Amino acid sequence: MIATLLRIVLRRLLAAVPILVLVSMMLFGILRLLPVDPAAMSVPPNATREEIETVRRDMGLDRPIPEQYVRWALTLLRGDFGTSIHYRKPVGPLLAETLPATIELALAALVVAGFLGIGGGLGLFHVRGTWKAAVGDLGSTALMSIPSFLWAIILILIFAVAFRAMPVAGRLDMAFARPPGTGFLLLDAILAGRLDLLASAAKHLVLPAFALGLSFSPPIMRVLRSGLHDVYAEDYIRQARLRGLDEGRILIGHAARNAMLPTATLLGVQFGFLFGGTLLVEVLFSFPGMGGLMVEAVRNTDLPVIQAIGLTYCLVVLAVNAVTDIVCLLLDPRLRAN
Amino acid sequence: MRARAAWRSGRVRIGGILVAIVLVAGILAPWLAPHDPEAQDLLALLLPPAWAPGGQAAFPLGTDTLGRCVLSRLIWGARVALYVAILASLGAMILGGVLGHVAGYFGGWVDRLISRAVDVWMSFPPVVLSLVLMVGLGVGINNVVLAIILVDWTRFCRVLRADVLTVMNRDYVTAARLAGFGHVQTIWREVLPATLPLLATLVSLEMGMAVVVEAILSVVGMSVEANVPAWGVMIADSRQAMYQAPWNLILPMVAILVAVLGFNLLGDGLRLALDARQSGARAEAP
Amino acid sequence: MTILRAERVVVAADLEGARVPVVRDLSFRLDEGKVLGLVGESGAGKSMIGRAIANLLPPRFATVEGTLRFLGADLVAMDADKRRALLGRDIAFIPQEPRAALNPVYTIGHQFDEHLARLGVASGRERRGLARDHLAAVHLRDPEHLLEAYPHQLSGGMCQRVLIAMAFASDPKLVVADEPTTALDVTIQARIVDLLSEMRRTHGTSVLLITHDLRLAARVCDDILVLYAGRPAEYGPARAVFERPAHPYTRCLQLASPPLDGPRRKLQSLPEHMPTLRALAALQGCRFAPRCPTRIETCSREPALLDRGHDHVVACHRAEADLALSPEIEHPGPARRISAPVVKVESVGKVYPGPRRWLGRAPDVVALADVSFEIGRDEFVGLVGESGSGKSTLAKILLGLEAPTTGKASVAGIDVTDPSATAREARITAIQMVFQDPQSALNPRRRVADIVTQAMIAGRRRASWEERLAKTKTILAEVGMPADLALRYPAELSGGQRQRVNIARALCSAPSVLVADEIVSGLDVSVQAQLLNLLGRLRAELGFAMLFISHDLSVVRHLCDRVLVLEKGRVVESGPTEGVFASPASPYARALLRAVPPDDLATPWRPFAEAEDAAA
Repeated sequence: MIATLLRIVLRRLLAAVPILVLVSMMLFGILRLLPVDPAAMSVPPNATREEIETVRRDMGLDRPIPEQYVRWALTLLRGDFGTSIHYRKPVGPLLAETLPATIELALAALVVAGFLGIGGGLGLFHVRGTWKAAVGDLGSTALMSIPSFLWAIILILIFAVAFRAMPVAGRLDMAFARPPGTGFLLLDAILAGRLDLLASAAKHLVLPAFALGLSFSPPIMRVLRSGLHDVYAEDYIRQARLRGLDEGRILIGHAARNAMLPTATLLGVQFGFLFGGTLLVEVLFSFPGMGGLMVEAVRNTDLPVIQAIGLTYCLVVLAVNAVTDIVCLLLDPRLRAN
Repeated sequence: MRARAAWRSGRVRIGGILVAIVLVAGILAPWLAPHDPEAQDLLALLLPPAWAPGGQAAFPLGTDTLGRCVLSRLIWGARVALYVAILASLGAMILGGVLGHVAGYFGGWVDRLISRAVDVWMSFPPVVLSLVLMVGLGVGINNVVLAIILVDWTRFCRVLRADVLTVMNRDYVTAARLAGFGHVQTIWREVLPATLPLLATLVSLEMGMAVVVEAILSVVGMSVEANVPAWGVMIADSRQAMYQAPWNLILPMVAILVAVLGFNLLGDGLRLALDARQSGARAEAP
Repeated sequence: MTILRAERVVVAADLEGARVPVVRDLSFRLDEGKVLGLVGESGAGKSMIGRAIANLLPPRFATVEGTLRFLGADLVAMDADKRRALLGRDIAFIPQEPRAALNPVYTIGHQFDEHLARLGVASGRERRGLARDHLAAVHLRDPEHLLEAYPHQLSGGMCQRVLIAMAFASDPKLVVADEPTTALDVTIQARIVDLLSEMRRTHGTSVLLITHDLRLAARVCDDILVLYAGRPAEYGPARAVFERPAHPYTRCLQLASPPLDGPRRKLQSLPEHMPTLRALAALQGCRFAPRCPTRIETCSREPALLDRGHDHVVACHRAEADLALSPEIEHPGPARRISAPVVKVESVGKVYPGPRRWLGRAPDVVALADVSFEIGRDEFVGLVGESGSGKSTLAKILLGLEAPTTGKASVAGIDVTDPSATAREARITAIQMVFQDPQSALNPRRRVADIVTQAMIAGRRRASWEERLAKTKTILAEVGMPADLALRYPAELSGGQRQRVNIARALCSAPSVLVADEIVSGLDVSVQAQLLNLLGRLRAELGFAMLFISHDLSVVRHLCDRVLVLEKGRVVESGPTEGVFASPASPYARALLRAVPPDDLATPWRPFAEAEDAAA
């Protein structure tokens, strides 16, 4: 069984490679549609035409586009993410600073969304058929209409403007210095044994994580609720009842795992959207993650940064897709028939 | 018959009313708005709404950092939101719908090709892709519409393809082919009527999403041109003065919420009404 | 000792405030070690009884009157926990769809283990050993490996054996089997029935067998209770009820089933169908009277259960009189001369390539291999085979929906693989199909007239709505339906009516050949008889050939001149129906025929005369 699972994992990972290549080509192609000339942008405003031409040749912008792409891809594979036009620094370290922050935020948001979503879904299912369920349904539709950036603003207005209770900027209180380590603040704080750092990092994480989590929990609630609904209509649940099993055992021992299948799939898909949602939430909370970097780069038409970050976002989504597939395979033996 | 049943649903009614409010505001903007949305009154900066202390009747909902009337900007912003919502969702529906039907109906390598394209496309988080597209296309409201179409067609395609596959399983589609209907005729006669309810729901939901995406792009500054009022721009502008003038932040937010909630309720209500009719009709026969 | 006793049980449904009884006046007695058959068509209420015993009735249904005593204790009035304690232990259930009744995400071993744990077996090792033993007791090979398998890896028959093993694991006093063989292939059905009998004998269990098959019940059960519209029509010893039925419904049921042996006879068809739940609320008097061929004035009063002696009771006013319902023997018509063949199939094979794998390919699936036959102009040819035999693939090839990998096939002189427009046009009037599932075969959004005459506006053809409506009414008359159904929607029609619309649609382009793919499976016996009679009449009036695909041998025998037997994609036997059925040459055909219980109860039913292993 382990062998089949490993084989499936390998196959998924290998299948992701051509997708990654196509994605990078798409990214490259879109950005080359630019009406702006990146060469002109990276030189001082009073540069002569010859100087611009020199820069252009240096950046390789005079070559045909497919060749530019291949050069870029090769440098990427060597680990060189290019140099930011705006910051005049290599992109790699910029990414390394900001990526952990975004991932930490996304994971925290996933935890929030998971708890709210699964709890809500179970609750909605429990009160099904009553008026409470109708209210809950309407409520989840209403909640779904609030995108994450609006939640961010609402939470900021409530907790910072109205009540001044929670921090709404950055990852740590100004007083603290960042501990060395992985870049995942919560982890680093624990490893360093600094509880005060941990508390500060956690407090800063709460509002952004909830902004994202609140907006992504309603679909999870619905899918779990309808998943449970479908599962309970199945024959094997009826047969389990006819064997005399009590409702608790039926829920945990039979229904739960089957209802988790569509839920797990949705969680995987939602994570992609959630990860994209971090972009604006980071900006609104001045959270130093990839989102802030991307927005800066977009405003400055900083092509190398845009390309690198765009590719990183996709990499994460592809990785999450692969993980979701594997989880589904573990949950549902029928999928392993392939 | 079906439309009447849909109308009876509370969600459709409330959603419809909310959408109608936005529609009226957008269409009648030149006559409804009390001021020119771009007119700056430097003597009346950051005024609160008329009912709050310090407010003026001339500016019912107050003014922003440049002295522009918030109410007028909201009303004109509805225009931008609607323009984007309607055009983008129709465009995404046509592009995604056609490809989804083609993939589901013909199957084989056509399906594989389209599905692979959708997979690649969906590897981008939508926000990131629309941002990248705006960088490539340049700022402007028509580019926003184009960007949203190019991002969201994949969702239409995937969902519709699944629906089409279900319909293709039905024997009446095979029967139509056996009777001599051509491919286009078969899709038009047998497949489309079955997928139409889902299409309508998706379009409504998509309109809500388009409003959100436009707002996100506006906040980042990659949406409409500089002198066009949009709700997202209003939010971006008012962030610095958030503590002194929270109303400037709250009001455009409410506008976005009303629009999105309206479209979502409408779409949800349509889905439930049309779904119920299908299952209800089938439950009739013994 | 009486294991289960029902006394005047009433199960009612709450329909928009009104209480509509689904089961009425139900009284029976099941003694230790005996088998009671509850026989009825769909909608008669028989499944409700099984659910009432477990008290797992659907929402808004409840047992409102009467007592249902299990070993003296009333199941209806019993405390919920006490009743739940009985389930799975003293009362076990065997379901209709075995594959759906097992949780797909857990192994067989896991589910068996859970069941045994509930029964009180404490040690895990003991549970595993017991599970192995129980699986071996139902003749499943290699129980050790089976414990690690998932339900989707097992066939329907194997899953049913597992469920039977679980049911009997607790040595129950009562086993309720709800249509346990309906979803299985014919040869597997016989084995499962045999297994049930064996387990019953070994454990001394009483069995309540719920089924629609009167013939099967007569063989397997000690007593039979025939249910119509929720009320017992007849109840007595199996032999008596089957050989000397007192109720006209039972008699009609028998006469509506085509016999497998003995002389061919006309099928007794009952008009319309059993009243639905909604219609029931409005009816008075004997519920069967509207369809009864022998009704009289008094039938407007509901008949009580009359005792005919020897424990045989019947609910009919005319029970004493001898019913003049004797089978009309059908004389075989003049021998049909095989005219020029309208369908020619030569060495057709169909192979589906296996899906690509990392290393090489998975094995190809051979759906058909070297199939050759012909169908004459007015011939009805039956195609018999179990699931996976390739019947549907062959139908698709003839209709041009799929291309054969090898060989040739032609219909009315046109090659089925010819892609040209003229060929496709010609094929529309050459061959048409009647589909199996009336639900999925009719577009629910179109009116009957639109569906039936869709061929008139296909491709380049044009026709006005008046023309189509007129044509619809003509065809509807031909298939025996009133003209006012032309403007209805499929949802407003019954199953039998929908199937007629299906046939009407196929007849619209006046094809030379009709392909009927299991069109009467899933229909009630009485409705099936209507359709078979209809097909016979249409054949005489319109003249067309038919490839009649079915797994039901008695239906094939009744309708078809010749029969082809398909096993795993190959034709293992072909010839005139009577000849093949009287003395089948191939072992497979023999097994198929033996799997159906003979009509004459005196003839012993031995499905396994030849040595076979139990890899069901």
